[in-house]
Amino acid sequence: MAGLELLSDQGYRVDGRRAGELRKIQARMGVFAQADGSAYIEQGNTKALAVVYGPHEIRGSRARALPDRALVNCQYSSATFSTGERKRRPHGDRKSCEMGLQLRQTFEAAILTQLHPRSQIDIYVQVLQADGGTYAACVNAATLAVLDAGIPMRDFVCACSAGFVDGTALADLSHVEEAAGGPQLALALLPASGQIALLEMDSRLHEDHLDQVLEAAAQAARDVHTLLDRVVRQHVREATISLGD
Amino acid sequence: MQTACQAVQHQRGRRQYNRLRNLMKDARHDCVLFANEFQQYCYLPRERGEAMEKWQTRSIYNAAVWYYHHCQDRMPIIMVTEDEEAIQQYGSETEGVFVISFKNYLDNFWPDLKAAHELCNSILQSRWERENESQESHGKEYPEHLPLEVLEAGIKSGRYIQGILNVNKHRAQTEAFVRLQGTSTKDSGLVSDILIHGMKARNRSIHGDVVVVELLPENEWKGRTVALCENDSDDKASGESPSEPMSTGRVVGILQKNWRDYVVTFPSKEEVQSQGKNAQKILVTPWDYRIPKIRISTQQAEALQDFRVVVRIDSWESTSLYPNGHFVRVLGRIGDLEGEIATILVENSISVVPFSEAQMCEMPVNTPENPWKVSPEEERERRDLRRTHLVFSIDPKGCEDVDDTLSVRSLNNGNLELGVHIADVTHFVAPNSCTDIEARTRATTYYLADRRYDMLPSILSADLCSLLGGVDRSNKTLADSLDNANDPSDPIVNRLLRSMASQAMSNALYFSTGSCAEEEFHHYGLALDKYTHFTSPIRRYSDIVVHRLLMAAISKDKKMEIKENLFSNKDLEELCRHINNRNRAAQHSQKQSTELFQCMYFKDKDPETEERCISDGVIYSIRTNGVLVFIPRFGIKGAAYLKNKDGLVIACGLDSRSEWKPGSLQRFQNKITSTTAGGESVTFHLFDHVTVKISVQASRCHTDTVRLEIISNKPYVIPNTEIFHQSSLLLKSDLVKEVTRSVEAQLAQEVKVNIIQEEYQEYCQTKGRSLYTLLEEIRDLALLDVSNNYGM
Repeated sequence: MAGLELLSDQGYRVDGRRAGELRKIQARMGVFAQADGSAYIEQGNTKALAVVYGPHEIRGSRARALPDRALVNCQYSSATFSTGERKRRPHGDRKSCEMGLQLRQTFEAAILTQLHPRSQIDIYVQVLQADGGTYAACVNAATLAVLDAGIPMRDFVCACSAGFVDGTALADLSHVEEAAGGPQLALALLPASGQIALLEMDSRLHEDHLDQVLEAAAQAARDVHTLLDRVVRQHVREATISLGD
Repeated sequence: MQTACQAVQHQRGRRQYNRLRNLMKDARHDCVLFANEFQQYCYLPRERGEAMEKWQTRSIYNAAVWYYHHCQDRMPIIMVTEDEEAIQQYGSETEGVFVISFKNYLDNFWPDLKAAHELCNSILQSRWERENESQESHGKEYPEHLPLEVLEAGIKSGRYIQGILNVNKHRAQTEAFVRLQGTSTKDSGLVSDILIHGMKARNRSIHGDVVVVELLPENEWKGRTVALCENDSDDKASGESPSEPMSTGRVVGILQKNWRDYVVTFPSKEEVQSQGKNAQKILVTPWDYRIPKIRISTQQAEALQDFRVVVRIDSWESTSLYPNGHFVRVLGRIGDLEGEIATILVENSISVVPFSEAQMCEMPVNTPENPWKVSPEEERERRDLRRTHLVFSIDPKGCEDVDDTLSVRSLNNGNLELGVHIADVTHFVAPNSCTDIEARTRATTYYLADRRYDMLPSILSADLCSLLGGVDRSNKTLADSLDNANDPSDPIVNRLLRSMASQAMSNALYFSTGSCAEEEFHHYGLALDKYTHFTSPIRRYSDIVVHRLLMAAISKDKKMEIKENLFSNKDLEELCRHINNRNRAAQHSQKQSTELFQCMYFKDKDPETEERCISDGVIYSIRTNGVLVFIPRFGIKGAAYLKNKDGLVIACGLDSRSEWKPGSLQRFQNKITSTTAGGESVTFHLFDHVTVKISVQASRCHTDTVRLEIISNKPYVIPNTEIFHQSSLLLKSDLVKEVTRSVEAQLAQEVKVNIIQEEYQEYCQTKGRSLYTLLEEIRDLALLDVSNNYGM
């Protein structure tokens, strides 16, 4: 479908959303009983699963243990069936390593690691269906999973991607919009303080537009926070009800 | 409906889709795109195995029904489609929602729009014929065009060259040139344009198309002819040897067709018979020599014998010698002034519909009961020069659109302050208002010989923006210091030299500074590094753009608001291209209308008896078989042959009067000598004054042309010295006035005749003089159907 109009004159995107509109987000916590914490999130057609183990003792070499804080270990994997063409290597390839690194940076900033010296927290994220905004979905899923595991965090970590088309900033890009080749960035935010946990962009964007795009991503992340907050409260309510019986 | 647009893109391709979107975006058309696929209640999921077209039709119908109920069943909703099945299936499903064909729609809802009906019929007919024609297979007349990928690959690799086709007006059948586009000149090493020789090599491309050309091998290269010639349709080289060979090629594909509306004439009765068999299909001749004949089918060929009509080209198949087209509308009778002017407008793509109602609502009011006044806020923000400066205009007397005024003041330090005050049009014309968009489309006021078509409604151009004497007006001012400057007066040849010098320079063009390197900003004709003008915003849209830029540059505090109203570089480039194009059209149409009036003035005048047909002329160019002459009295430029069609050359006898005798011509750099077989010779030098006879060469299908013949090699002295002192400008306006007067007299005569005819119709009075005609008329009366007169 060459020459697709990413933003029509009337302000509609390819899937009928407005410029700042997010896709439908549905999330569930506690999907796996055996893991310490787990969560499943669907952002539009992007589906991500996060599983958290920890805090527990350092596996492998003791030398790696940090004396004053916990080690955060993240692994990102995208299923072979997650993209249009079957992926050959679900993990261990360059992109997955980089994603894992980014996730680690994000959560090291958010988790109160001082509370668990000499231990390790494992976060495994698996993308089941990739339709754009995979990093954001992973971060959101991991946040929920970490909360499900009961590990204390400074704040929620909410992430969203944003792009720039025809002078307008678009929030929460789908795969079609990402593939179009325009500038795009991913933002992970701690909503209460407005602090940025991670900002990643590897395309070209004129500096005059940066503010606009950043603002769009930040607003979208705040909207995600509203949703995730609701999900967590709902989960806790259900958990207390079942406990209370 | 959004789905309908997608269907167009799907079935017809990107270009048609873009055209549709552009038509809809135009605010004057009052169209809205409804995104039915994004609306919750309108959206219908596609069923398994359902064909795309079926689903689209179903979606559109569903959305139409939803909309009907959404408007509370108050208005009928009409879905127009040519799909017979859909009409059958959905036509009577919901009351109030109609599913009908376009013709049906026109017949039932707009029965009075005659022009639309005619156009619809003509399009339907040409479509029907195209379908039937493709079933017969003739031999191929032209090679097929190459597919798009092959063309693009060829251009990239340098094998093919892309350019715009320019047909030679004087040799339309044989010579056409492709001017190179873009950077291909540097790569291919070509120094000149490429010649396309003959119709076969042109391969169905039409003047103005963007074509892809393949160079022929060098041994097939041809040269172009440099002699003067008339617009004959024969291929003969007329014995002249062409100049040296130049790069020649053939067209292998067309990238973009730039077809427009063409004015054509039907062939005369004798020619129709020779066209033979299929009397429905007629080959019409376009007014523009460069366009080939077009085949249209119409039943009105007989009735429209002496009329000029507008047609559009539909296609040019490789099996056909001529392109196929359809009839659009009638312009007027051949030779009728209004019709000929309409022809000039159509041929230059000038559209001068009256200003719309929406536009007139945007206009400020200035009537005697409610006069326009400068508002108090404006009085505060502007400088008031009403009492401090003497402001005057130097436009001609009777001029209505006064764009600019001057003022002169002595300053205390001895210098002169020169003020230039320009009408403040942008105050009244808001950016992107209806008026602004219409002005942008017109881009300039069109001045024809006897009338003008304004860019802005007259309340602005002739009244509120015009800096008329004695009334308060707003304007923009530029003050400057002056030294003394004057220039000497020029005789005729100096004028001629200057106009030739300016014609030799390439035309100045508008451009956007964002797209051009600073070294290329200079204006050649004025020898200035940087040049722009803003002194005529009433009649030039580019000046309105410059005014807005000036205001944006000056008022820094309102930055954001103004920024939205300015154009981006890309849009400005597109606008400049449009303005340049319209300026060219305005110049052409002005020239053509002047020539039209000249022809009408000299038509039917016998040169032997009428004094005005003989005049003094100056030779300003030498060619191989003639010279070009300028007649200062009327401002006419034309060719005068020294060797006629029979090969005889001009000879001037003892009384200086010319005759045609056998002989030869010898051309030198700035003179040409005609030597007869009998040994007499006469030489014409550059800038010689000669006596010229002016006559008109009438043409049925094309414009009449003025013909000049040298009748004496001595200058012409006008017997009556009074006329001699009149300036040529005055004579030109007299020319126009006289033509207009004679046309009006003729029209008045026709109206009288028409009134009589109508009365005859009503009372059925006999017209014949003889008994035979009387009896014939009574017989006709008997056959007349009078039933409807009695209301039955």
